[in-house]
Amino acid sequence: MSAPVTLISLPNANPGQTRFEKSLYDLIKGLRHHKGTEEEYIQDSLRECKTEIRSQDMDKKATALLKLIYLEMFGYDMSWASFHVLEVMSSAKYLQKRAGYLGAVQSFRPDTEVLMLATNLLKKDLVSHSIPNMSLPLITLPNIATTSLSMSLLPDVLSRISHSHSVVRKKAIICLYRLALAYPDALKLAWPKLKERLMDDQEDTSVTTAVLNVVCELGWRRPHDFLPLAPRFFELLVDGGNNWMAIKIIKLFATLTPLEPRLIRKLHRPLVNIIQTTTAMSLLYECINGLIQGGILDFDAGIEEKDEIASLCVGKLRGMVVSDSDPNLKYVALLAFNKIVLTYPGLVSLQQDVIMHCLDDADISIRLQALELAARMVTSDSLQSIVGRLISQLMDSRPLKKGSHLEPGDGYPEWENDKQRSEWTNKAPLILPPEYRVQVIHRILDICSFDNYSNLTDFEWYVDVLIRLVTLLPADSEDTFMTNATHNEQETLSQSNITDRIGSEIRNIAVRVRDVRMEATRAAESLILIDNRQTLFSGVPMSNNSALGPLAWVVGEYAQYLSSPRQTLYSLIDVSNVSLPAKTLSLYVQAIPKIFTQIVCSGGRDWSSSKRSEVALNLARIIDFLEALGAHPDLNVQERAIEFLEIMRLAADAAHSTSLDAHDIPFLLSSVIPGLFDGLELNPVSVNAQKKVQSPDELQLHQTFNEDLWVLFSHEQGNSHEKESKLPFHEYYYSRETFVPDKQGMDSTSDDLQLMPFATTGLDHLDDQAALVRRKHYRKERTRDDPFYIGTEDAWTAISEPSRPQLQISDEGELNIDAIPIIDLKLSETRERHSDHMSSPPPEETQSTAGSRLRRYHVIPDEMIGHEEELGVKDTNSLNKSNRSPLLVDSSGLQRLTLGEEGVSSGYTRSVPRAEDDAEMAKAMQQVERFRLELQRESERVHPTGVPSEGTLVKKKKRVKKTTAPVSRDSGQKHEPVLDGNSQRKPKKKRPKNQRVVTSS
Amino acid sequence: MINAVLVFNNNGQPRLTKFYTQIDTQTKQSLIAQIYNLVSQRPASACNFLPLPPLLSRGASSGAENGPSDAPTQITYRNYATLSFIMISTSTESPLALIDLIQVFVEALDRMFENVCELDLIFGYETMHAVLSEMIVGGVVVETNIDKIVSAVRDQEGNLGKKRAIQAASSGIGRTGLPGLGAWR
Repeated sequence: MSAPVTLISLPNANPGQTRFEKSLYDLIKGLRHHKGTEEEYIQDSLRECKTEIRSQDMDKKATALLKLIYLEMFGYDMSWASFHVLEVMSSAKYLQKRAGYLGAVQSFRPDTEVLMLATNLLKKDLVSHSIPNMSLPLITLPNIATTSLSMSLLPDVLSRISHSHSVVRKKAIICLYRLALAYPDALKLAWPKLKERLMDDQEDTSVTTAVLNVVCELGWRRPHDFLPLAPRFFELLVDGGNNWMAIKIIKLFATLTPLEPRLIRKLHRPLVNIIQTTTAMSLLYECINGLIQGGILDFDAGIEEKDEIASLCVGKLRGMVVSDSDPNLKYVALLAFNKIVLTYPGLVSLQQDVIMHCLDDADISIRLQALELAARMVTSDSLQSIVGRLISQLMDSRPLKKGSHLEPGDGYPEWENDKQRSEWTNKAPLILPPEYRVQVIHRILDICSFDNYSNLTDFEWYVDVLIRLVTLLPADSEDTFMTNATHNEQETLSQSNITDRIGSEIRNIAVRVRDVRMEATRAAESLILIDNRQTLFSGVPMSNNSALGPLAWVVGEYAQYLSSPRQTLYSLIDVSNVSLPAKTLSLYVQAIPKIFTQIVCSGGRDWSSSKRSEVALNLARIIDFLEALGAHPDLNVQERAIEFLEIMRLAADAAHSTSLDAHDIPFLLSSVIPGLFDGLELNPVSVNAQKKVQSPDELQLHQTFNEDLWVLFSHEQGNSHEKESKLPFHEYYYSRETFVPDKQGMDSTSDDLQLMPFATTGLDHLDDQAALVRRKHYRKERTRDDPFYIGTEDAWTAISEPSRPQLQISDEGELNIDAIPIIDLKLSETRERHSDHMSSPPPEETQSTAGSRLRRYHVIPDEMIGHEEELGVKDTNSLNKSNRSPLLVDSSGLQRLTLGEEGVSSGYTRSVPRAEDDAEMAKAMQQVERFRLELQRESERVHPTGVPSEGTLVKKKKRVKKTTAPVSRDSGQKHEPVLDGNSQRKPKKKRPKNQRVVTSS
Repeated sequence: MINAVLVFNNNGQPRLTKFYTQIDTQTKQSLIAQIYNLVSQRPASACNFLPLPPLLSRGASSGAENGPSDAPTQITYRNYATLSFIMISTSTESPLALIDLIQVFVEALDRMFENVCELDLIFGYETMHAVLSEMIVGGVVVETNIDKIVSAVRDQEGNLGKKRAIQAASSGIGRTGLPGLGAWR
């Protein structure tokens, strides 16, 4: 701007520089002077750097490297220069060396090949005489460590841990931690040394803090290993005097206390003390967090104390939320509540009023935390109000042009007339970022669908909510977040995920809740209708609307509930649909014949000429649409389209051919095509159910049916006519009387192919009568538990009663049904449940009570064989692996490592005699007690009088009585352990003592 | 642990990028862009914590339920004049302490450069890296004492950073030109 243009290169820190090369300053300045043509200038500079970095002159090389590092910050790759980085790293001048190491940190990747060459250089620098030089590899290694590098450099770094200078020690400690992440076994060797540093009272605080920081990182992975160190941590907490350290220790204790509840007993006093005295909010916050997460509320001894502490903590947190002075406190308090709510939901729900207030906070970060919290503490009572509040939040923040689609009072009285709503709308409209809007919708769905909709009481309301959510989907987010092309994918992914989720929710409701199936189907219908689609899905691009798939399935499957099946059908076969995604389209294709059948069958058996022409017209349109899909690039769509195309053509033929005489619907249209879609009702099945189906022992997938198959084929080709009748399968295919297994029969036979048809067909062929009976029986059995079977006038239909227990079937057959292999899938439970549904009043009856708030909905849970296992957890784990954050530093390698050398972990992981365990704990407690006392004395010393204040010594007095120890400090200390050991074994005796301490303080 | 430390100015131009994981340049840039996007939307009165940007939110959706994990879940930022300082960390770091840590970083820089401004950091970016590596090594906090940090950096380079900044200033680019520095690279 106003800066004068200087064309002359300046003298600078690198004296060897000639005026023909650009220094780093020249580069930076040059960037400024080339506004508009920066890209060109940078490319020029990069070219110069490429030649300069190859020069023999180390000064020139280092300067070029610095320029490259600078440009790397702006996204210009410098991985090609890794060898030159190495060269600069080996420079004798410190500043050049430092530039080299900086280059390594900023540009080396795990696959950088020259890393192998660096080993010796790093080794050499690690034993350098100058401390800055030695620090360079220590601060660089953590960023570039690979397994092999860690292995070869471990001894060198280990030796640095006992270096005389604390600056080296602290860095070496952390360096070791990162080496251990790359090479877990390193920790076994390093741990004793780290522990040594930690235990050393004379150690520099920086070094102790560094060890603590490392332990804190390790702590949550292997808390058991650090339990024995609790006394030392306690000591550091109490007289460390450093808030940074105290915060880390408290965080560490929060992971330790769940394993050793006795710790909390020792901890709560110092923590409460800190809470009451500290001025540092960060420390205060971590204390509260530590106390609650550490399980103070599970601590059953001293109930009064517990309540006092709990209310103190929660009160402080509440104060943080309420106060408007510091938004950070508000945020972290919500963060803490979010952790607490998992274990003590009751405690948090008391704060519901203030938390709900945060839902409308101006700060998105705070809102998101409050949203998460609200989702977790929702109950069936508060559900509707919370969801209503969230929805109105979304509506209020919508741009006006979107709002114009919805006239006020268009049938959503729930929140339109809400008193509070006017209050909310009065607030200044906040522009909500689309990510937040998506997040809110996700949460609404989470809240409602939680635990198979157990909190949801009104499903009709929910269906309305779902439709409303569709209209509230964030408007096209291109303009807001599509700055970078690489995120395009992700953004649209999350975007389509939410539309997909809403579609799936409508489908779930339709399947699971029979009572509102009609409402759900109509909701799906309204969204499917082509005229509504543009307005309702205003925010979602057509090509990306994944909600349509599940919706199409719903309108197809429950076509009988559609209000205008014709309109729906026309919407499904609209020409514009051809451009829909393949997944959606294949569901469309499947839904089309279902709705068509519904249209044909809905008018009874009447086959007037008007109906005939209507059917023919519909068929023609369907055929048109399917033909368009016949060459679809997606095979799934193509196959389905062609299959149904053929069926529809047959149907069209049938409609035409019977046109002259018949008054009935052609058989093909009235029975055959509907028959494709009839059957048992579809129930929701758990995702993991398929995995639990055990393959029967007899099922041999790898055994060939017939070893001589080729012989048979060659035989047949040669003299098929002569041998034809003797082939074993001939009868099966060509004899009229042969038993042909029906669909269900096929299911069971396919499980055991050796036994079924061949053995029996011969017999059947001999005795037609027997075959007939048998066929009838199969039919009877098949249809018995099929509530949708429309029986003929045959006498045997009377037998089938829906409530008949399944297992009796086998006793009735005239033939030995037991011979038919049926695999016991242990589905009997779910079958029973199924029959329960059937015996419950049909939907029509329950409809009469519609509108009443007291309706009881039955939500069908997922069907599952046996018990649901932890499969889901496994899945998410693997998901995390594949889908993890790019910044993640994986420490999972440490999980299986035992720091066993010192017996640190063995006491807990293996079964070691209980007594030893107790002794160790007693010893630890002894120390803890001693330190606690020391702390007490410390606080006493504050009193100028020096007279021990009676209040704090209640405990001591008792001790005096019990142990008859002299009052002198030293002996008091000596005798404590005895008492403490007692108290460990007899906690009851300890309780009154504790209470008294509290009352005294 | 701390996963990354970023400094960028009001225009989103990076002044320091330090990642404690090895990731490619492209991902770095996307992350910076996403975080800048979030930071730039925030009013001055908002709290110092950011929601996770899309790049980070995929692996960490269930952070709170599972207790601590390796996934970065906290983004703390703080604005100083024209610059934003950002720390991305896992849940093992205390959120409020991170705000203080940024303050320590800035104060240490201020000591190094004597009344630091954006321009100092542009020309003294090596020094800025040196200060940071005295505070954080491999994502773990190694020192929070400003005196120790500053003296360790001085041991390395004396007053080089300051000298360079002054040199740049003497070349006609006034350090007083702070308000107009936005377009600098």
